[in-house]
This record gives sequence, structure tokens and C-alpha cells, in this order.
Amino acid sequence: MFYLLLTEDSAYPGADYDNQNFPIFELETLSGKKIVNNSIRDQAFLLNVWASWCITCRVEHPYLMYLKSQGMPILGLNYKDEKEDAINWLNKFGNPYTDNIHDYKGSLALDLGVTGAPETFLIINGQVVAHYQGEVNEIVWNEVFLPIIDEKEIF
Amino acid sequence: MKFLYSLSLILFVSISLFSEPIYNFQNAEDELRFNTLVKEIRCPKCTSGSLASSNAPISQDLKLKIVEMINENKSDEEIKDYVSTRFGVDSLYEPALKKDTYFLWFAPFILLLITLLVFFLRKTE
Repeated sequence: MFYLLLTEDSAYPGADYDNQNFPIFELETLSGKKIVNNSIRDQAFLLNVWASWCITCRVEHPYLMYLKSQGMPILGLNYKDEKEDAINWLNKFGNPYTDNIHDYKGSLALDLGVTGAPETFLIINGQVVAHYQGEVNEIVWNEVFLPIIDEKEIF
Repeated sequence: MKFLYSLSLILFVSISLFSEPIYNFQNAEDELRFNTLVKEIRCPKCTSGSLASSNAPISQDLKLKIVEMINENKSDEEIKDYVSTRFGVDSLYEPALKKDTYFLWFAPFILLLITLLVFFLRKTE
């Protein structure tokens, strides 16, 4: 019984943030455009936290490219990264993102409960409905994100 | 001599003149609150270290956020709530007393009661 109590939910860390409102923010995109809460309201999308210094993001990258090819909208949250490094990284490896929020100081990330990169959120109409810490791959996608997507009947 | 004097001035005075305190508080009470809070909150990156003990970038960010919230006159409860909704309920060292933690809080007493009961019942037999 203690084993069950101790291990319950721990396979998917970050689950406590379910159904919270998306934090209020005002930042710029990597291309220098202003981006605020209203810019991303009334939409369903994935939010992927990444950085050019993050090695696991490089590992995760091909799967994000695959998701993009399946028509999944992915908004990038470029975390504590130099703008130039981030843009070079995208040019070199390919860009799976619809747009990128440049969170140089990590303020929005902290408000979201990000502990590092990569982390992925599922946002529906300004609400966080899922939060996964670590690399998203086929297994994680099928076990964590797909059930919620099917349940909410989005995409 | 004059050179030595000015050199020592530069060396010793400048350090204290230009070193700002890491965290700025409105009063000493707030600073005390901060020092208590960072010992009661776990570092999100390190499994068993407090915020106070941690130098991880995420802990530094979180400490700055706590300072900001203290200066906005947020209560300890609000601050702990902010941390636990984002980094999980186990980020607080002392779990809150609520429905799903009743077992955690009261199990030891219930077990003690059962043990005593069994002990005395067997004695009377």
C-alpha cells in the first residue's frame, strides 16, 4: 500500500499544475514582436520549453518535427537563451514551432512551474491542461498527451 | 604615503560601497520571513535540499520571486500556495493538513492506539 501511495502520479511529474490559468505575461517573440496573453487566447496548442544549450531538446527535436508534420501547433518557449543562438539553432536543425516566446530571464517559465528544459504543456483556451517534465517522445505522447486530447476532443 | 592611503581607500571602501545586498527588503521583519520561508520550501531541482541550501538557477529565480511577493505584502500562505501549485505539494517540507493528508498525519496515532489496544487485551486474557 505504501508503495502505491509513494509512487502514485510520480511517473508524470508536474501534474499538480492541471487546470490552472495560463500566467499573465508580456514578452517578445524571437523575431521581436510583442506577445501577451491575448495573442494566445481561444486556441489549443502545445507549449514546448527549449533552449539551444539544452542537449535533451536536441534529442527531442525530431519528434517535435514529426508532430509538426502531423499538423500539431507547437508554440516554443525559448528559455534563458541568447536570441542569436536560438535563431541559429532553429536554422540549423529545422523549426517545429509556429512562433517562439523569448523568455530570457525565465520569468514566464517560473510562473508556469518550469524546472528546466525540455518541458511541454498542453494549453486549451488559456488553461494549462497538462504539464510534462522531460523529453516528449512517442511513448510519452501516447500515454500522457493523447488521452487528454481524445477526452477534450481537440485538434 | 598619500598613495598608500588612497590605495587602501579604493581597496576597502569601494567593496562595501558598491556591493549591494542580494535581496532588498522593506524591513527586518520581512527579511526574517524570507529566511524562514526558504527553509520550509524545497528546491525544485534537488530532491532533498531546501531553497536556502540551493544555488541552482531555478532556486535563485524562485527566491527572487519570493522576495518580490514579500515586498508586495503577500502572506506566507499565498507564497506557499504559489510554490506548491507550480512545483507540487511535496515542495513544502510540512504538508498541509487537508483531506488527502489526514492519513499521513494521523496514521501514527491510530497505529499506536491499535498497538496499545492489542497489548492490553492480550494482557487481560
